[in-house]
Amino acid sequence: MYVERPVTDRVKKIREKCRNTPPKLDISRYKLITEFYMEHPELTGILLRAKNLRNLFEKMPTLINDGELIVGWQGEHYRCSPLYPEVSWDWFMRELRSNNIRTRKVDPYELDEEDEKYLLETGDYWVKNNLSAIADEYMPRKLRDELDLSGVIPFNAHGCGHAPVGHFTANFWTATQKGFGALRDEARAKLQDLEEHGIFGEKVYSYHFYRAVDIVCEGIIIWSKRYAREAERQAAACTDPVRKAELLDIAERMDWIMEHPCRTFHDAIQCIWLYQLAMCLDGQLHGISFGRMDQYLGRYYEKDLAEGRITEDKAQELVDLFMLKVAEVNKIWSEMATKSNPGYTAGMLITLGGVDMEGRDATNPVTYMFLQASQRLSLIIPQALRVHDETPMELWEAAVECTKVCGGIPTFESDRAIIPAMMRRGVPLEYARNFSLEGCVEPTIGGYEWGQPGGDGAESYINIVNAFLMAINNGANPLHTKDGVEHRQGPATGYLYEMNSMEEVMAAVKTQFEFWMPWHANCTNAWETMAAFHRPLPLVSACFTGCMESGKDVMWGGAMFNSTGNSCIGIGNVADSLNCIDQVCFKKKLATTRELYDAIMHNWEGYEALRQQINGSIPRFGNGDPDCDKYMTFAANAYADAINRCVGPRGNHYCAGCYPVTLNVVFGEMTWATPDGRKTGEPLADGISPVQGMDKNGPVCTMQSLLTFDYSKYGNGTLCNMKFHPTSLAADNGVEKLVDVLKAYFEQGGMELQLNIVSGDTLRKAQEHPEDYRDLVVRVAGFSAYFIEVFKDMQDDLIRRTEMAL
Amino acid sequence: MSTECTGRIYDIQGFSVQDGPGVRTTVFLKGCPLHCPWCHSPESQAFYPQLSWMNMRCQGTALCQSRCIEACPKGAIELGPTRRDSKTGEELQMVHVKRELCDNCGECTQVCYPEALYLCGEDYTVDRLMARLLRDKPFFRKDGGVTISGGECLCQPDFTLEVLKRLKAEGIHTALDTTGYVKWEVIAQVLPYTDLFLYDLKHMDSAKHKAATGVPNELILENAKQIAANGGKLQIRIPVIPQFNHDEENIRKTAEFCKALGDAVTVVQLLPYHSLGAMKYLRISDRTPVEAVPPSDEYMQKLKAICEEYGLNAKIH
Repeated sequence: MYVERPVTDRVKKIREKCRNTPPKLDISRYKLITEFYMEHPELTGILLRAKNLRNLFEKMPTLINDGELIVGWQGEHYRCSPLYPEVSWDWFMRELRSNNIRTRKVDPYELDEEDEKYLLETGDYWVKNNLSAIADEYMPRKLRDELDLSGVIPFNAHGCGHAPVGHFTANFWTATQKGFGALRDEARAKLQDLEEHGIFGEKVYSYHFYRAVDIVCEGIIIWSKRYAREAERQAAACTDPVRKAELLDIAERMDWIMEHPCRTFHDAIQCIWLYQLAMCLDGQLHGISFGRMDQYLGRYYEKDLAEGRITEDKAQELVDLFMLKVAEVNKIWSEMATKSNPGYTAGMLITLGGVDMEGRDATNPVTYMFLQASQRLSLIIPQALRVHDETPMELWEAAVECTKVCGGIPTFESDRAIIPAMMRRGVPLEYARNFSLEGCVEPTIGGYEWGQPGGDGAESYINIVNAFLMAINNGANPLHTKDGVEHRQGPATGYLYEMNSMEEVMAAVKTQFEFWMPWHANCTNAWETMAAFHRPLPLVSACFTGCMESGKDVMWGGAMFNSTGNSCIGIGNVADSLNCIDQVCFKKKLATTRELYDAIMHNWEGYEALRQQINGSIPRFGNGDPDCDKYMTFAANAYADAINRCVGPRGNHYCAGCYPVTLNVVFGEMTWATPDGRKTGEPLADGISPVQGMDKNGPVCTMQSLLTFDYSKYGNGTLCNMKFHPTSLAADNGVEKLVDVLKAYFEQGGMELQLNIVSGDTLRKAQEHPEDYRDLVVRVAGFSAYFIEVFKDMQDDLIRRTEMAL
Repeated sequence: MSTECTGRIYDIQGFSVQDGPGVRTTVFLKGCPLHCPWCHSPESQAFYPQLSWMNMRCQGTALCQSRCIEACPKGAIELGPTRRDSKTGEELQMVHVKRELCDNCGECTQVCYPEALYLCGEDYTVDRLMARLLRDKPFFRKDGGVTISGGECLCQPDFTLEVLKRLKAEGIHTALDTTGYVKWEVIAQVLPYTDLFLYDLKHMDSAKHKAATGVPNELILENAKQIAANGGKLQIRIPVIPQFNHDEENIRKTAEFCKALGDAVTVVQLLPYHSLGAMKYLRISDRTPVEAVPPSDEYMQKLKAICEEYGLNAKIH
């Protein structure tokens, strides 16, 4: 039986500090990189990046905080955000000059006045000298001339990729088991070999690559040893003998790891942290994921335990401390981009569970430790739990207990659905079994596959609702119609009122999708190609399977497998809109296509009765209704087939996904009214979840609808949020029953689910906006009820009880 | 039995985790011979489809031009109270159903697009119901199944029997939620196809039972004994209602009775009274029931302990 265990004082203190320290901008990295770039105009490409990183390793502050046993940080201040001017910068200077940084509504940052002054003095150097600005110049002409501000693809004529994401998982197996000393030596041997046998053709690039690997491997070893010196310095001044011993232990470890293979659990977890941090320091922080933490660490733990070097509690404390280091990480984005990912998140997803490369259950004691850490520390660090037929019941229980406290942590990811989806994009079974999740829910083979599920820095989200609106409005986004003049950007597929059947409507939708997806690929490829030149990643490549062998950086296609991901937003609205057109205009004939068209174009103003009729009487996706599910299948396939045909920058194919972060809300604000009764500006559907408030028949019916998807086409992951009230699990065997439903869903082919076992906070919101919470089921006493349908006083009572229960 | 046989259903609930073991789908049949004042499903009592009214869904007559008032052939709908829209803050004029004039014809529901007016109770053929239930089968896994509840599902015995037979033929676990107030012959017929009876015992004193529910308890108690004697399994449910059956003496007597039923009783569930069904009365009438104060957790624990004294597997909720 899985139980929550108490937390040590050390962990408690650091957790409090983490929760109470407001994030601050730190210019240590900014200063070093600015000086370095200014001093070295002769450097470019991979050598510039390698030497710059080495310079950071040699000069960045080495902060070791009180009580820490896992060390390493990227600035002078606890919980600070470094700055990445070489990636995108225009927005930062604008926000800095308009005094927005400290005061903005989403994720404000503290900033010292002196640092602000330095930024204002030097910042203009970077405004045109960054990857985003360069990419703007290299985007296809048609984007600038015709497709700007389409609302479908995220690329515009200016400000491409101003919210760069990391979105990869490094090879932590190599980092922990081989060490960077060996990798450095390997690179040197390759260099010597090339020097002996000739440097020509493609080998010229390989030669630069190995030089870069040599430089950064040496650099990370230096960095680690600088922490050893700092620990020794602190130890010398330390009067507490216990802490002194800890510091000397840290010094010994930091002297050893990174250069050599890890010896112990503590070595390995420290090495993983420092390597991760080094990759952040190199320049693309958000969404760099950890992959299979329990798999990297499990064998070290069991060996240490067998040899008496560690106890379960000690290991748990180290996992807690590791999680608190991760919780410390954040990166400032533009205010606009932050809206898609608010809350100082870093998207460093951890994957647990699943099968090993031979297909056996891979659960180990460390799997539980990570869930335990999230649960007892209530952290928002994302975790994904891979589940399969042999997942132990205890692990299911641990996961549900965790998600009760931390809504949606972990997400449940089905091996049964994801492994075939990985194989469909060309990964052999053995490797496919080794997948992990990145960012939100994106499957890749961490350390083996350069999956780029979010694109590399380019926002990869497509608003397919706008493409749909173009399909029924002759290729024009209604949002851009000014004084009755349309601005047509997509193909002229005609107007809804010219269409005589659903076949015609669907053909128009397909045409739009097939136009926009390749343009999304064209733009992403333009960005990626610039990124490959200006920002290769030798430190990632050093460990990444395939790169050292091929002599190519991961950004140049050196990895064993390659892919490029994509995600659509609003698929539920497209499906529901199609069904509404079918029902309203063709089947029930509640209105003509002209009337429905006019109603949409008028944002339903003057057509409220029709809107109510649609809302009240037309079935929606998510209720097991075969008609709606048919349109979901159509929409899901039309998008996925169109994007999956596109070819990426490394010769690989694109891969469809459907997960929204919070972009369904942000995009919704910029999307005109839709035939499913949605008004202009209202949020779009969230992932593959049914449209908000439209799943009225409970979770089993919703799951039945979700099972109509062909998930093997969605190798870049899907996301579905399901809400349960904590009291619905409170009865005897409540958790078991929930697990039963989840198992049934995954056995039938479901891919991913995340559960919100909701809090009193949500219930209060439900009171304010009951129409948005129509599906919230509450378990009260002898029966379940829809929360919004019980008396106000009782709702208040439920809210109180919920908060007590949590 | 012909599959033309129909049953009148007022709700089908998936992921029903409170009505028997595992994950279940519960079918609620309309109509009940008992009229318990604490009933939390008042819409289950009448046998006919009933016009229901959910005020939260009404968008106001300004929007729909009172189409329902126009549509009613009996003149049974009039302008009623107002409510404030939670999003816009607008005051919405709602309608009111004059129950004494309404004959539940349902004409108004055809023109009420937001479905504030709707008919509660719909006839299903066995085939249609089975098609709906079989969709959920993969979710039942090893412990779950279908529960047929009500109202009193055994007041529609042919339909219930046929559904149970078909479920067993599909290998699905079956549970019947019953008041027990039906002829033994009816129970005897369904017994071979019922894996578990969810069986209410409301009061051991027949006079008090009759005063509250409208029927005496002898038949109910006798049927419970017969079920036990004939190999049926019983999950006993005791609604704990203040001022009616919550006294220790009655609980003791009930526990004693359960003990005498022997191994047939799998669980004794103590269900504390709650007033959450109260607003549902307004959907089908102009009255709300007299509310009582729910028993405290401590008191429920005490009753549970009493049941346990009799060696029973007792649970609260």
